Amino acid sequence: MTQRMKFWGRQPAFYQAQLALTMAAKKGLGDPVLAELVVLRASQLNRCAFCIDMHVKNLREAGVSRQRIDLLPAWEEAGDLYSARERAALAFAEAVTVLTEGHVPDEVYERAAAHFDERELAHLLAVIVAINNWNRVNVTVRQPAGSEL
Amino acid sequence: MQWAKLAPEVYKAMIALDAAAKKGLDPTLVELVKIRASQLNKCAFCLDMHIRDARGAGETEERIYLLSAWAEAEEYYTDKERAALALTEAVTVVTEGFVPDEVYERAAAHFEEPELAQLIALITTINAWNRFGVSTRMTPGRA
Repeated sequence: MTQRMKFWGRQPAFYQAQLALTMAAKKGLGDPVLAELVVLRASQLNRCAFCIDMHVKNLREAGVSRQRIDLLPAWEEAGDLYSARERAALAFAEAVTVLTEGHVPDEVYERAAAHFDERELAHLLAVIVAINNWNRVNVTVRQPAGSEL
Repeated sequence: MQWAKLAPEVYKAMIALDAAAKKGLDPTLVELVKIRASQLNKCAFCLDMHIRDARGAGETEERIYLLSAWAEAEEYYTDKERAALALTEAVTVVTEGFVPDEVYERAAAHFEEPELAQLIALITTINAWNRFGVSTRMTPGRA
């Protein structure tokens, strides 16, 4: 895979705003492990190799088990390896990420709303939106896994 | 849910992101890209806003209502606009094709690298607004 463009160096203001968005979202959610799981799942769906590499490393550093990282693409079939709250967040993340398939069905939204209060849910949504931004840029410019931005 | 009120710092960052993304791009092209992404993502609020903006800026009715079929209405859009619209579709529905080389190269043939980076930023930003809008079921204003 060849990098198409060094995007982030060309877009310093956009990069700063994207960082601010990400930090505001994560801070408001207040659950770093959940945020990393959601962000890794979105990156898997969007096939962002750079992002997957980064967030797997973050999860390992946070002490999350290898099994919980490895089975994330099949989280629905992994029983209680993920909590009900995590599963609701992952279902929401998938719906918001692959937006054009279903446009976030009511049942997915309501399941998330049952586990998160409105403020948490707004920030969970922001975490998902922010990683989709990182994913879209990095996929479009073919940012290599493990590279410097 | 009123996400902007519940997450004011997030909203502030989105405004900064949007301003950074639009900077220096042709405003006519900006609205075409924003309308097309909002059509694909079915964000009614965003579509309503950007069609009004485009109309206010003097965009023609034909170019607005043919946008959902732009590839079949070539004579209404410039080559550069069509290259940008193809890239918009590929980046928006990223899970179908993951931005194929031909789409990227077509855009790269019409946009120098700094402008292409700007265009990519714009496309991801409208996708972000669309995701907020659709997920929270933001409703369009009434005329």
